[in-house]
Amino acid sequence: MEDKLKKFADEHRDEFDVFEPRTELWQNICEELPQKRNTAKVISIKFGDSASFSANSMFMRIAAAIVLLVGCGLTLFLMKSNAPEAGNTIAATTAPPVNNIAPELAEVEAYYVSQIEEKKSKLSEYDLKVLGLDDQQEIDQELARLDSSYIQLKKQLYTTPNTDEIVGALIQNLQIRIRVLNRQLEVLQRLEQINEQPDLEPQRDETTNV
Amino acid sequence: MEKLSYQDVNHHVIDRCKSGDNRAQYELYKLYSKAMFNVSMRITNDYAEAEDVLQEAFVSAFKNLHSYKAEASFGSWLKKIVVNAAINAIRKRRSELVPMDERVVGEVADEVCEDDSEWQVAKVRRAIQQLPDGYRVVLSLYLLEGYDHAEIGEVLGITESTSKSQYSRAKKKLLEIMKEPQFVV
Repeated sequence: MEDKLKKFADEHRDEFDVFEPRTELWQNICEELPQKRNTAKVISIKFGDSASFSANSMFMRIAAAIVLLVGCGLTLFLMKSNAPEAGNTIAATTAPPVNNIAPELAEVEAYYVSQIEEKKSKLSEYDLKVLGLDDQQEIDQELARLDSSYIQLKKQLYTTPNTDEIVGALIQNLQIRIRVLNRQLEVLQRLEQINEQPDLEPQRDETTNV
Repeated sequence: MEKLSYQDVNHHVIDRCKSGDNRAQYELYKLYSKAMFNVSMRITNDYAEAEDVLQEAFVSAFKNLHSYKAEASFGSWLKKIVVNAAINAIRKRRSELVPMDERVVGEVADEVCEDDSEWQVAKVRRAIQQLPDGYRVVLSLYLLEGYDHAEIGEVLGITESTSKSQYSRAKKKLLEIMKEPQFVV
């Protein structure tokens, strides 16, 4: 008998992958991986038998630092000597494409990201377990989901002609995150007050489902 | 005929990972984390647990990369690690995935009518999430991870025919869930 469900799943296989892990997860993985920093690296460059060059990492670091310093100095000198032209070319070549498509986005993004970071650091000051609240996971999950869709939207930004709508959605996405964090902060503050006055009936039902 | 070993498209990156190159490891992670996370998510049905499994699997994969012999694609090698880690994770919270009394290979008669006209991916996916652990794992492995019943049997420690009948039951249950009037996407 034909398995229609299997056929359906095969045809739509990719659409079933909707979840994404939090971006922080890579950091956790890195911490568990053995780092090979202790062994001194020797870099050797060989051009046939005639010329060869080898150096350990300390030497290379110093060399790299010198090259960098000389490079910076040279760039500064060049920029000062013919400032207008040099300034323009640099801006034109290094500006990320997003600035061409939606110049206001970078600024708005920076603003909201700083807000979000601030709220997150405030949140992390609370000890959730002590306050009897362990649905932080849900919040993280929500934020992770928002993050995934943000990345998706940003990809679309480069392919869709209607950038205004997408920029709107991106900003909305950031605002929702702030709202989620604010809500959580409020709840925590209220819980803290309640914990300070243990006689009062704790109002646990006002949790954080946004 | 000479047996060619499978040349993975990523073998350059993999070689660099073998020597402990952190950037190459990140490249592989980027490439596979989403797909593997969804594998893990389908088996564990829990976001935080799925993340733990993903972390454990990647760490173990990078540590044991020397045992990857390029007989299969890197993706399927990694997937095996993820599936095993995920199954171990849910075993910890439940002793038997497929209860003993369900191991009887019975006819699952009355094929429910498979009316595929109203199927949508989101709907099917939500319904899968509502299945009990044992059903969900067998059904996901068969439908979405490309395992056949022999492989499912091996990974879950059940027989091939148990896997088959378990799949039929799971499918029947899934179609029932989707028919429930209160089931909304």
